Amino acid sequence: MRKTIIIWILLLISSCDQVDCTLYSTVSYTCALYADGSSVSLGDTLTITAMGTDSVLLNRANNVNAFSLPMSMAMQADTLVLHITGDGYSLYDTMQVEKTNDPHFESPDCPTRMFHTITRVLSTHNFIDSIVVTNPQVNYANVENIQIHFYPLD
Amino acid sequence: MPMSKTYRFISILWISLLGHPVAAQQPQATPQVTVETTNDTVKVSLQSLPPEKAPLLAGAAVSVDICGLAMKGVGAKFANMEAAARINFKEKYFPLFEIGLGDCTREGQENNNLFSTTAPYFRIGMDYNFNKKLNGNRFFGGLRYGFSAFKYDFSNPDFTDEVWQQPIPFNIKDHKARAQWAEVVIGVETKLWSIVRLGYNVRYRLRLSQSGNEWGDPWYVPGFGRNGGTTWGGTVNLTFDVGKSARNPRKESRK
Repeated sequence: MRKTIIIWILLLISSCDQVDCTLYSTVSYTCALYADGSSVSLGDTLTITAMGTDSVLLNRANNVNAFSLPMSMAMQADTLVLHITGDGYSLYDTMQVEKTNDPHFESPDCPTRMFHTITRVLSTHNFIDSIVVTNPQVNYANVENIQIHFYPLD
Repeated sequence: MPMSKTYRFISILWISLLGHPVAAQQPQATPQVTVETTNDTVKVSLQSLPPEKAPLLAGAAVSVDICGLAMKGVGAKFANMEAAARINFKEKYFPLFEIGLGDCTREGQENNNLFSTTAPYFRIGMDYNFNKKLNGNRFFGGLRYGFSAFKYDFSNPDFTDEVWQQPIPFNIKDHKARAQWAEVVIGVETKLWSIVRLGYNVRYRLRLSQSGNEWGDPWYVPGFGRNGGTTWGGTVNLTFDVGKSARNPRKESRK
């Protein structure tokens, strides 16, 4: 009896750890492209850069109907420059995404993430007609967050 | 080996020990032999003892979990250090109260994250002794309700926005949280000597509710263990009987 109890104690205190971080742990928001009220694939080339960083968030994307972008973790709003180029034209629009920053952790073993809630989106209107926030929660869920409606395509 | 697998192994080990002949270590009551001699015959009769009955209030006991203290002593990442008090009704029903101090300091394995908390916890519940014999051994099954209100710290000093190249040191200090859970307990206990008993049990814990997890679940809940919907645990109890019948329950039971 005493031996079994000693074995039991040793087993208990020598238990190993398990690390179970979320596999899909990228936090980004998804913008979908619309024209005339329906989803469209952009035939032109779209490049998105963020003010305040040299990083190109979307580089010369072509034939896309949606894309995912990272959000800044400390700023209250991200200002993005959308550059669309086609045959004989080059247009710019600026989009400002205002949001909250909510730290999120799962375990000391897992990287800390920042979740967000989109509060408002503003833009200029050279080729963007309007912007609709469809899901303000930005977290691990890979769902459409913003609809970017272009002016009707010719 | 994952912790849950370890506990599963321990459970299997425990179940296999249920058949362990611990009862043989205790002195058994011998039936009374009567010999009657007549003219040319000898009549031997074996008179069995009346069934043993424990009194309604058969004693009380206090105990300490030596496993929790050992885990703290060897520097385990978390430890539930606890003591308990219980009352013995008819050697069958053992309502009890457990109080403990949960302690955890957990560093990330591949980063500088740090989670820490030290807080009390409480459990109430009852054990039922399945052993019908008053031989000093007890086979318990029981239920517990556990509760803890605690504060925890979490820090990630290296948290950085890699796209915008901004360091964002992340520190949560004294964040308040609460948790409630239920436990299903099975255990064994045997008498070592005099008023001293030794036993151990395995517990399956089911979290009922928690709050204070706006930024994420606390990694550890005092008294519950590693946080999650369910978890396994156990205690190794050194128990001291107190009260009138502590030294000789058999004698008390025959009154």
